[in-house]
Amino acid sequence: MEKQDIIKSFKDSLFTGLIALALFGPIVGLRTVSKGEGLFITPQWGIVFLLVGLCILGRFLININSAKKTEFKFLSSFSSKFAHITEDKAKHFAITGILFAVVFPFLPFTDRYFMDVAIMILTYIMLGWGLNIVVGLAGLLDLGYVAFYAVGAYSYALIATTFGWSFWICLPLAGVFAAFFGILLGFPVLRLRGDYLAIVTLGFGEIIRIILINWYEVTNGPDGITGIPRPSFFGLPFKRSPDEGEASFHTFFGLEYSTMHRIIFLYYLILVLALITNYFTLKIRKLPVGRAWEALREDEIACKSLGVNPTNTKLTAFAIGAMFGGFAGSFFATRQAFISPESFTFIESAIIVAIVVLGGMGSQTGVVLASIFLIGITEIFRDLEQFRMIAFGGAMVLIMVFKPKGILANRKPTILMHGDKK
Amino acid sequence: MSSLLSVENLTMKFGGLVAIDDLSFNAQNNQITSIIGPNGAGKTTVFNCLTGFYKPTTGQMYLHKDENKVSLRKYTDFKIAHVAKVARTFQNIRLFPAMSVLENLLVAQHNELMFASGYSLYGLLNLKSYREKEKQAVDKSKYWLDIIGLTHRADDNAGDLPYGDQRKLEIVRAMCIEPKLLCLDEPAAGLNPKESAELNKLLKFIKNEKKTGILLIEHDMSVVMGISDHVVVLNYGKKIFEGTADQTKNSKEVIEAYLGVDE
Repeated sequence: MEKQDIIKSFKDSLFTGLIALALFGPIVGLRTVSKGEGLFITPQWGIVFLLVGLCILGRFLININSAKKTEFKFLSSFSSKFAHITEDKAKHFAITGILFAVVFPFLPFTDRYFMDVAIMILTYIMLGWGLNIVVGLAGLLDLGYVAFYAVGAYSYALIATTFGWSFWICLPLAGVFAAFFGILLGFPVLRLRGDYLAIVTLGFGEIIRIILINWYEVTNGPDGITGIPRPSFFGLPFKRSPDEGEASFHTFFGLEYSTMHRIIFLYYLILVLALITNYFTLKIRKLPVGRAWEALREDEIACKSLGVNPTNTKLTAFAIGAMFGGFAGSFFATRQAFISPESFTFIESAIIVAIVVLGGMGSQTGVVLASIFLIGITEIFRDLEQFRMIAFGGAMVLIMVFKPKGILANRKPTILMHGDKK
Repeated sequence: MSSLLSVENLTMKFGGLVAIDDLSFNAQNNQITSIIGPNGAGKTTVFNCLTGFYKPTTGQMYLHKDENKVSLRKYTDFKIAHVAKVARTFQNIRLFPAMSVLENLLVAQHNELMFASGYSLYGLLNLKSYREKEKQAVDKSKYWLDIIGLTHRADDNAGDLPYGDQRKLEIVRAMCIEPKLLCLDEPAAGLNPKESAELNKLLKFIKNEKKTGILLIEHDMSVVMGISDHVVVLNYGKKIFEGTADQTKNSKEVIEAYLGVDE
């Protein structure tokens, strides 16, 4: 290694330090403390210098490494091993994953907190799989997916509280409503592509949220809807003391009452819903309509020249993607028992899109890994309070640096002429 | 011989620019009709009008299907391929690069398969009728892949094929919709002499065995003169000559259009 190189990389890392100082200085360095009357600024220069020092050192090491033309050995070996596992043994991986998910509630270390996180991750996996149809397969960048989540949640909540119908009737209805909104959004954006489509869908997401806030008579505005019925186990409610002449889950099975019963039931409910989404997507991908989605993503003009109707193809993608968003929404409503427009902000859409993109467009397993990674990391760093979004951002940067096409970017053909060679 | 396509007084204006000026010509069944002309003569515009990508300013285009006379003006974009059965390829290859070769050919059979899959319902139920139809579609793809010698690469991504194979694949993909008329936009562009010769063979096969009329835009004169039954020469949107390949070679107007007039 040349002396010049070292000097150059040292200069470069000092420059990095300068940028880090500019960023961390005001954000970390100046802490406001409220004392008596008013706020006072307490500087924390120690931490700032520590962070800046770390940045300089890190940059310097990266520079030296890249100058040597060697990569971080452990990272590249890790990522190639990773690709190996998921490419060759995708099926084993999937089966192991599902088995683990099935026994998860009964593992010794599983407590209420773990279950809640697992349910959240599964909800995001389901949303990711739903959006994967629109973004990953059909290539339509939808930044307003949360709108369908909201439509599903509100249709479930409104139908269930107004008519008192059971979860199993409301769930498909919520899906149908969401699919209808999917088509409603689909029509005006048929001609749009790429950035323009993203902007309009983003707007659509906001429109739905603002309608939910302002249509007070129906949606109860920002106060949200309370008292959404909980799901029952085939007619058996999860109640400590069931009504007169009614059996509840624990009395029927002769179990000790525990709040965990409902949590475990909800967990399996979302697991089944998510797996249905996955199964459906894997199936439909191999049908003509699925191939047409992917062809549309590849080249719309070529599609037209082959007689593929782009309007219908796009609308089905929007409708089916929205339907699964709606299912996830009704699950969300029944789990929380309370929903308000606050749950359906743009950041939710952004997280779901991030899961799909980081997982590798169109990859079902990638969505699972990305959900676990992104949601898991924000949960692990929950103690850092407002700084946990840094962990979220950091996780995204890491994936983009080491796996720029997403965690799993390999696409398998939907049909093989010569069969599997392995 | 019966006429397959008749273009009557076709005019296409883009603002003040007249890209095609009162063009009339016929293309016959089982013949290769070439449209040639210097760059900017309006050849691709003619194709875009025929295949529904542009709506001509005035003029008519008729396709003679069996005994019926079908006006192509009535159909727009995807219906040209789906209903009128006019297929086309593109000057810059437009395959689905991230999809396998076989998938490319199956997308071309989308409408039949979609119907057979009961708009996905039967397909989701995995009914036998759909599986059989899918098998037929694969067999048809294999038939075409055998002809262009790409069967061994059926499961590879179309984008990974060499350039010459991509050209051939695009042509057979268009043939998978079983067109009456096949429009090829510079199929020999960028091919080496050996690949051009293979292309000639493929086009002759399609003409003779499939009874499909071919409309060809081409700059490569070895291709044009080798296989064309009929040549239409355009310059500045106007037809300046029409005749057989030999007649075209010796035509004074054509030589002038390409090489200029002696001072």
